[in-house]
Amino acid sequence: MRTAFFLLLAALLPCQALAANQVALDNSVFVERVTTDSTGKQRILLEEPKVVVPGDRLVFVLNYRNAGAQPADKFVITNPLPAAVSFADAGDTRPLVSIDGGRGWGHLEQLTIAQPDGTRRAAQPADVTHLRWAFQKPVPVGGSGKLMFRGVVK
Amino acid sequence: MTSKLNTVGIIGLAAITSLAATPALAAGTTAGTTITNTATVDYQVGGVAQGQQSASNNFTVDRKINLLVEEVGTVTTNVVPGQTNAVTTFQLTNSSNETLDFALVASQIVGGTAAHGATDTFNANNIRIYRDNTVTGTVGSWDVGDTLLTGFVDELVVDTAIRLFVVADIPAALANNAVAGVTLRATAREGALAGTQGAAITETAGANTAGKDTVFADIAGVTGDAARDGSHSDNDDYTVQTATLAVAKSSRVISDPFNNTTNPKLIPGAVVEYCIAVANTGGAAATSVVINDAVPGQLTFVPGSILLGGTYTGTVPSGTCDFNGTAGGSYTAPNVSGTIASIAAGAASTLVFRATVN
Repeated sequence: MRTAFFLLLAALLPCQALAANQVALDNSVFVERVTTDSTGKQRILLEEPKVVVPGDRLVFVLNYRNAGAQPADKFVITNPLPAAVSFADAGDTRPLVSIDGGRGWGHLEQLTIAQPDGTRRAAQPADVTHLRWAFQKPVPVGGSGKLMFRGVVK
Repeated sequence: MTSKLNTVGIIGLAAITSLAATPALAAGTTAGTTITNTATVDYQVGGVAQGQQSASNNFTVDRKINLLVEEVGTVTTNVVPGQTNAVTTFQLTNSSNETLDFALVASQIVGGTAAHGATDTFNANNIRIYRDNTVTGTVGSWDVGDTLLTGFVDELVVDTAIRLFVVADIPAALANNAVAGVTLRATAREGALAGTQGAAITETAGANTAGKDTVFADIAGVTGDAARDGSHSDNDDYTVQTATLAVAKSSRVISDPFNNTTNPKLIPGAVVEYCIAVANTGGAAATSVVINDAVPGQLTFVPGSILLGGTYTGTVPSGTCDFNGTAGGSYTAPNVSGTIASIAAGAASTLVFRATVN
């Protein structure tokens, strides 16, 4: 709950100063608000999470950077969802997800959940407990990037 | 930038469509909860696993004040003049993310349109608010086991709906279809102190504070109750349904000593049959309708000739009596009397008896 500032989504800047580790990771969260202007056009505003109430949509942004002197291989970012946040989507970043606390992983559309009557249903975003991005190629020296996902405050 | 995933996905307007699919959340995460998100990175350099890196952020869930007052059912409460403890039923739901007290005010509409479209024409007396006792008595309906409230509901937990009864006494001598509108308004108050009504709640104005802020999220209620004011309200009404009786008397000659039943004439010794018809044009059944008729001195009552509860064809008094019914009633000279147990709204009933001309 810090000082307020508003950002347009498009104005999100690449990660700024990351810690001086071999690999640096920065994690930030915004509240997504949709406003409709007088012409009926919708605008998405990302705000600092100052006033947050149940039902608000959150955008989590993870910035990573390889600050070391060698490429980082087998690069895996894991993000367990906070208990009070329900997963919504991850844009087109296609993370692996877990719906069982991190034991099994897969893309959401591949996962199913056993129901009390023995049948299985397709997993829904709200079933997701963990997100994971496993990079297939090394992150080169100085390489950086950004991942995002959305959730809803339960 | 050789990583396959090193560019962020475009989360633009295309994703707006998913906003509509936001699940319906009720009260949700408790106010004051801190949500912490932690991400970790595992990686290798030159084939050697390196120390895990992690990054976190956190924020506090603020307090969302939301409540709903709703009339239970969609019809008016029918009452009769002079009725005590006439009940209208409401439901109060705490959709906030915190346990709260709720101040309650039951008020009367004066004039104007009541909840179900009719014009308010009178005020009820002795208005009280009860909370349904969900353990004993008749759950969901007002009974003596329900709790009389002194202006507030204490410590209503998150996502809980309770049933409230607005109970009033109806004045006597009211016309059929008279209407009294009532409004129940609930206003959120601070919780956490059982047995005492908490302080008023104000929305956090201006800049955000580090702790738990307060946001009003209620919708508008009845006229004068705006959205986002920490209170909500609804209307209900009482409609008087009373019986309105009309009486008509008719007669026919049954027989005379000379013509017998063929074209009988009203000569001494003739038998005359009387019909007293009572019609109820009101909105409620009339019960224990007592009919009395004095037999004129020129006639002699025929014992055992009283018939009760017969039918009437057409509208009293322009229709015709069917001169039927079930034996009953009594005769105490000179009065014939009988009691009809009930005449429904819109129905008619008769008392029939015979007498001879002296």
